[in-house]
Amino acid sequence: MPEIKAYAPGIYPRSEELVQATRDLDRGRTTREAVERQRQKDLASLLRVQEEAGLDYLSDGLLAWQDIFRPFCEAARGLEPGPLTRFLNTNTFYRAPAPSGEPPALESPLGPPYFEAEELPRGRWVATLPSPHAMAAFASGKVDARELARRVLRPQIEWLAENGCALVVLQEAALFGGNVDLRPLAAALEELKGPLPLALQLPFGDAGEVLGELVELEVEAVGVDFYSTDVEALPRPFPKTLLAGVIDARNSLLEDPREVAKFGRALLEELEGELHLVPNGDLQFVPEGIARQKLARLGEAAKILKEER
Amino acid sequence: MAEIRFTTREIGSLSKPGWRVKSVVGRPLNDGDVEDARRWGERLGVEGHEELVELLGKGSGFTEEEKARIQDFAALYAIRLLESAGLDVVYDGEQRRSEMYDHAVKHARGFEARGTVRSFDNKYYTKAAVVERPKVEEAYDLEEYRFVREHTDRRVKVPFTGAYTIMDWSYDEHYAAGSGLLGAPAERRTEARRRFGIDVARDVVRPNVAGIVRAGADWIQIDEPAATTRPEEVPLVVEAFNATREGIEARASMHICFSDYDCLFPHIERLQDCYELQLEFANRDSRETGTKDGDRPGYAVLKRFAESEWDGKIGLGVIDIHTDFIEPPELVRDRILHASSVLGPERIEVNTDCGLRTRTWEVAFEKLRNMVEGTRLAEAALNGA
Repeated sequence: MPEIKAYAPGIYPRSEELVQATRDLDRGRTTREAVERQRQKDLASLLRVQEEAGLDYLSDGLLAWQDIFRPFCEAARGLEPGPLTRFLNTNTFYRAPAPSGEPPALESPLGPPYFEAEELPRGRWVATLPSPHAMAAFASGKVDARELARRVLRPQIEWLAENGCALVVLQEAALFGGNVDLRPLAAALEELKGPLPLALQLPFGDAGEVLGELVELEVEAVGVDFYSTDVEALPRPFPKTLLAGVIDARNSLLEDPREVAKFGRALLEELEGELHLVPNGDLQFVPEGIARQKLARLGEAAKILKEER
Repeated sequence: MAEIRFTTREIGSLSKPGWRVKSVVGRPLNDGDVEDARRWGERLGVEGHEELVELLGKGSGFTEEEKARIQDFAALYAIRLLESAGLDVVYDGEQRRSEMYDHAVKHARGFEARGTVRSFDNKYYTKAAVVERPKVEEAYDLEEYRFVREHTDRRVKVPFTGAYTIMDWSYDEHYAAGSGLLGAPAERRTEARRRFGIDVARDVVRPNVAGIVRAGADWIQIDEPAATTRPEEVPLVVEAFNATREGIEARASMHICFSDYDCLFPHIERLQDCYELQLEFANRDSRETGTKDGDRPGYAVLKRFAESEWDGKIGLGVIDIHTDFIEPPELVRDRILHASSVLGPERIEVNTDCGLRTRTWEVAFEKLRNMVEGTRLAEAALNGA
């Protein structure tokens, strides 16, 4: 039987207290230190919630990230935060990576507060990075995905490997809508091979059209949003580890763990790799109180399946 | 040939003065807030503004009755600002509404607040979930409309948040519940969203619109900023507009902004009796004057409207609401002249890209005044003056 795991990659929502602190900071009513203290409280709470839910990998929730690209736009030469741009079909916006002339290159790998490696259990944590292909596709000017992979993301993945990370989830949101050429993505992924297992997750969208080709890519796992993708579109048998997006991170409706387990049970019949239960994208699209309950239900669903083995 | 005359109007919102915001939420006012009320009251010639200045002098601890009076003044100031700028059509700058989504769902049964989510950076918005079939029993913007009607001689256009946007910005704990959407085919998910959207159109937006039309409103505007968020659902945007409009005896427009207008084709051909689409263009355009195609990149999509079988008017966004840049009248003129050459002047009316709520009143006033002046310049050019 395939191995079963559960975890929650991506950006986790800020608590109401952290929301207020950041609002106050923008209005000059509090200090950066006070915001940082609240962020540390949020981090401690998130780690506790994941442990209590029995999740297999922990995430630091990317609580200091303004969006999935921003830390790299600020830390890499040759990139700047560009215009505000809508993220997929959500009411949320990111600053598009904007090339500033010279070839992009990471000055030095990101550590705290962007990756809180020291707070996470060595060998049992998951990191989330933008896919180089999505980063190039969503840039406000011409950027080469392979260069981004080699000079910006690769040094970061090496740092993650040295700091106890177990798995890197690459968020790939630029493959929807049909007629996508996967060759630039495949070439970029070649540059990232080696230091850590890679999962390519397609959040908040119908992956049906490209799934057949995705399984050919040089990644250990592929992530599918099953709130946007017909399960019938899954290639069978599925030759890789499947990150099954079974918790809807865009809806406040709480999933029934038994229903999620039932869905996972059916998937297990089709898999050659492992089954990883995950949300279908960043949990930051629901308020923190709801995200916390969703994590608990994710863990519960995985527990049901594991106990059946 | 009849003389060309464009109607000018704002889209909906203006920013709320500090004295209005602080007094209503219970924060103390400072001298600057009171001075602001006095200065704008004098500048706009707001009748009775001395009463407001005296009331605000209290500084804090306003009673509910006093808060209501302050809200009335905020609406009156906004009406006078739009009139003073020279607009043909006015409203109250949505001074009584908290925010376009929140205002709509908090008046409807069937929605529950769920909390705060991030829009970008440290900016957030509140979201609600639909938990049962939504409904409003009666028009909830009636008093707001009556106040405006009683305080202006200009034509009035009433903005409403559209059904599709309310649906798209809400969580769904009702239509999606129990329908097994995990791993389901697209048709089943689409059908859940369609039922939600049409119920909101018929049972939330339409009763509000109908009540205000019964009270005398003859021009309504349905705001759908989410219209092209999911291009495959533009037919549902159209269906929701038609469902909202059903049985409403008034002119109806639809405002769509910061969207991919290419997605509207050909679906807008199915809009029923939509007087105009009020759209945002200035945000995408050059700031240089000129009327040729190459001078006006922000208006390139107008050609598609010219080719479309849909033949309603275009409410031409000529003022960028995201910047403090004050568009010179000559730039406004050239945007109108260019659009007139593509569509014909009979299909053009003039407005801002969207509500000016993110600009100060000083900037908003200057922008609107130049919009009116530029419109008059365009008319003069077209009428051969």
